[in-house]
Amino acid sequence: MPEVIIDGKSYNYEGKHKLLQFIQDLGKEVPFFCYHPSMSIPANCRQCMVKVGQYVIDRESGNHELDDKGDKVVRWFPKLQTACNIDVADGMVVHTQETDELVRRAQKDNLELILINHPLDCPICDQAGECPLQIQTYKYGPEGSRFEVKKVHKPKRIQLGPRVVLDAERCINCTRCTRFTEEISKTNQLTITRRGDKNYPITAPGTEFDDLYSLNTVDICPVGALTSTDFRFKARVWEMNQTPGIDITNGKGCNIDLWTRDNLVLRITPRYNKDVNDHWMPDSGREAYKLFNENRISRPLQKLDGEQILSSWNNAIATFNEQIDGTDSKNTLVIGSPHASVEENYSLAKFSNLLGIKQPVFVPHIVEGSGDGFLISDDQAPNTNGCRLLGFTELDVKSIKNAVKKASLIILLSDHLLDRGVLSEKDLDGKFLVVLATNHSHTTKLADLVIPVTTAAEHAASYVNVDSRIQRTFRAKETKYTNRRLDLEMSEGRLDRYGTNFDNWVTEENKIDCLPVWRFITQAASARGLDMVLTEGRQIMEEIASSLEPFKGVNYQLMDEHAGILLKTETELKESVKQ
Amino acid sequence: MSTVDWKNYDPVLIPDIKDLHQIDVYIKHNGYKAFESVLKDKMKWPDQKSVINEVKEANIRGRGGAGFNAGLKWSFMPPSDGGARYLACNGDESEPGTFKDRKIFEYNPHVFIEGALIAAYAMEITTIYVYIRGEYRVYIEMMEKAIADAYSKGYIGKNILGSGFSVDFYVHSGAGAYICGEETSMLESLEGKRGYPRVKPPFPAQKGLWGRPTTINNIETLAHVPAVISKGASWFKNIGAANHPGPILYGISGHVNKPGVYELPTGVPVLDLIHDVAGGMRNGKKLKAVIPGGSSTPVLRADQLDGITMDSESLRTVGSMLGTAGMVVMDEDTDMVDVLWRIAHFYHHESCGQCTPCREGTGWLEKILLKIKNGDGEVKDLDLLLDLTTQMEGRTICALADAAAWPVRFTINRFRDEFEARCKKSAFALA
Repeated sequence: MPEVIIDGKSYNYEGKHKLLQFIQDLGKEVPFFCYHPSMSIPANCRQCMVKVGQYVIDRESGNHELDDKGDKVVRWFPKLQTACNIDVADGMVVHTQETDELVRRAQKDNLELILINHPLDCPICDQAGECPLQIQTYKYGPEGSRFEVKKVHKPKRIQLGPRVVLDAERCINCTRCTRFTEEISKTNQLTITRRGDKNYPITAPGTEFDDLYSLNTVDICPVGALTSTDFRFKARVWEMNQTPGIDITNGKGCNIDLWTRDNLVLRITPRYNKDVNDHWMPDSGREAYKLFNENRISRPLQKLDGEQILSSWNNAIATFNEQIDGTDSKNTLVIGSPHASVEENYSLAKFSNLLGIKQPVFVPHIVEGSGDGFLISDDQAPNTNGCRLLGFTELDVKSIKNAVKKASLIILLSDHLLDRGVLSEKDLDGKFLVVLATNHSHTTKLADLVIPVTTAAEHAASYVNVDSRIQRTFRAKETKYTNRRLDLEMSEGRLDRYGTNFDNWVTEENKIDCLPVWRFITQAASARGLDMVLTEGRQIMEEIASSLEPFKGVNYQLMDEHAGILLKTETELKESVKQ
Repeated sequence: MSTVDWKNYDPVLIPDIKDLHQIDVYIKHNGYKAFESVLKDKMKWPDQKSVINEVKEANIRGRGGAGFNAGLKWSFMPPSDGGARYLACNGDESEPGTFKDRKIFEYNPHVFIEGALIAAYAMEITTIYVYIRGEYRVYIEMMEKAIADAYSKGYIGKNILGSGFSVDFYVHSGAGAYICGEETSMLESLEGKRGYPRVKPPFPAQKGLWGRPTTINNIETLAHVPAVISKGASWFKNIGAANHPGPILYGISGHVNKPGVYELPTGVPVLDLIHDVAGGMRNGKKLKAVIPGGSSTPVLRADQLDGITMDSESLRTVGSMLGTAGMVVMDEDTDMVDVLWRIAHFYHHESCGQCTPCREGTGWLEKILLKIKNGDGEVKDLDLLLDLTTQMEGRTICALADAAAWPVRFTINRFRDEFEARCKKSAFALA
């Protein structure tokens, strides 16, 4: 097997590798800025310099040539090489900064040059704390600067598009952003303008950077040159908790990170998953952070004389049970939701089964032609396939209207059917409408009983995306009834751990008074004396896996290990039954 | 050392013939005969390879500065797969001190066109581009006319002279960027992109214009080809310096009485060029320094020039290069600090900005030199300058960082006294 010697240690390899990626995969490090594993390699930052050579093989004997001391002779490249674009080859000898003074010196020299025209405004820069330039300068850079002349000045605070702001002075011209629009989003909206130390990325005159994926350039910018208009100056990265999650605004189910501080989600960034979204996500999914903070329903609402008033959980549960008791189970319609998780839909279905109510129905939220074939799907909901695999009846607009017409009690889960034009106010005339929802909407306004439930940022639950991949979320945000310190799975940031009650970032109002769907259902069931206990997502998924064929073998442990599990689709399941 | 007999040399690239730029005059003086013989004389030129071998044998070392054997370069082209193959002719010449190709565009465009056509035939090229510096507006128009004339005479186009060989010829104007004279960024520019040099490998012969095999030659290099074909490789090889043979265009500028472009053999003594060819120093001043081949080649002091001839071997012995043979001659009144600052200013202005060391380094070099020029420099700044040159050299994609660093390194090393004299006196002077 071919072998490569890096810093005196031999490694075997197979296939083709670029040296920088190979070194990274070994868990070692070489500093770099412009290289990105999902894009072309421009080798322009010149930071990943390493010393590369090849063992000299004696042509006649085929053995290594040895020097006087008996060491193998290495023929070095006359110049240092950039590791990013050089192919790993058999017999290659590599010295990184760990073993070679020349390489250390070259990397330090390069950082000194990068920094001469970089404004050292880290204290007010959003990138500080997660800045490759800052981190690598501390590790490999010079201690001071010998630059005693004037820096180059370039435009600052340029609004490139609706979501991205440019500070050209911070730019180090790695061209990651321009390559992104060229190779990944394929809009070609950004290019480098001017020449030499005056150059910076910009849009063509008269156009704006309104790429549907524009915010990815902010993520990959190795400095603070591109920042998000929305997130700019909101928080320092080290004040926030970073919790993995799933994009719930779209059927693709991009893997994301939720960044929270003081129980507010402040931003959403993509999380790498090679099978789903690679390093990217659409801008639309990032806007969803507002859904978790704003316009939330806190405490149950009940209609009294035609007006919704704040109610208590006891009253809400009592009303809920009274309505079920007072209605013939044939006239009760339970509507599940592609916008809610598998666990939430299952809890509702289990409850209605115990009461002899028909299996829940659901209305897919698919807008034909709205997808782009990349990370935006036609499906507007994160869990359409989940509802299908749970065996819910799929209804179109016409048949849901019929079903609603026949029913007198409607229990609706997390789906704003009026807002998305499926039902009208007239359809609901004279019906008793119970809505379990996270945010206020036109639909919840009409409800006779509104149960506030947790969002994907407040519960751990799973979603089945358009490709039938089941992936799960983690609790990122506390509710009134959860506690970060007692919850093993919740991340605890610096402020959570070391802050005191006197620190002003502990705002009780940011904790929403809501319950997970299964917790509410369990309470309603126990009030009726039913034997049904659903405690949390992990336990519910185990129950689902043991009782429903499509979810067989699924559990949170596996989902976490493999970043999601590919389930068999409905059609595949049917075929396998036939065989 | 045998001296080159340059006094009896008869020019072939820019001979003294009136209106040679007109195609009829060119044809009357045996123009396009070499191309015709390559196409038709199957006895002499049985196949394309025989043409390449003849050019390789002549050892035409690229006149664009790198000095690589042109025939050898041609032989790197992979066998034709029937698809597009390109010849890109580099007429971007933008380096300060270099102004030789314009002479060809102006006085004898057809010798270049003929050379390019022979090259195209030898390498089975389908399309030729000639990339001309944007500032050469008038020569661009002249070249366009010359090419149109050659089309109408049937030397370019489909099935040329009934031989079955077809080729197209286009003029492409640069837009004022020095970097586009670097061969791979010239390809980018030809493709309509920003002129950023490409990472090599892959080399242009494998993946050039639009990912297709491409050869890039300097204008003067190609202009030598017709003579090599008609007079033979041995004729060419016996002219000038043994290791760097052939005629060459010397562009002599600076403080001489008769600056201009002179066609002479390679290997002419530098002092002969200054005192005899270019008419001696202006106003009888003393010679101080010479930049032998364009601003990026290391400057030479007058006392280094004894017995030095204009070819790469001889110049290497005193630590310089032939480059493009664009000599800049400087007399005793020249301020080397000013000269170096101006050169540094040029490279700062022209760095494309792709690689860090060049983008940032060229600006830093210029700013320090400006400080020294203004009398605010300190001696430690000179050492910083030298340090920066090592930080830039050999650490970038193309050779522009080297081109920017060398003048700084060698000018300071060779005229250090003058630089130190311009620096502030130290507050802690020892004596």
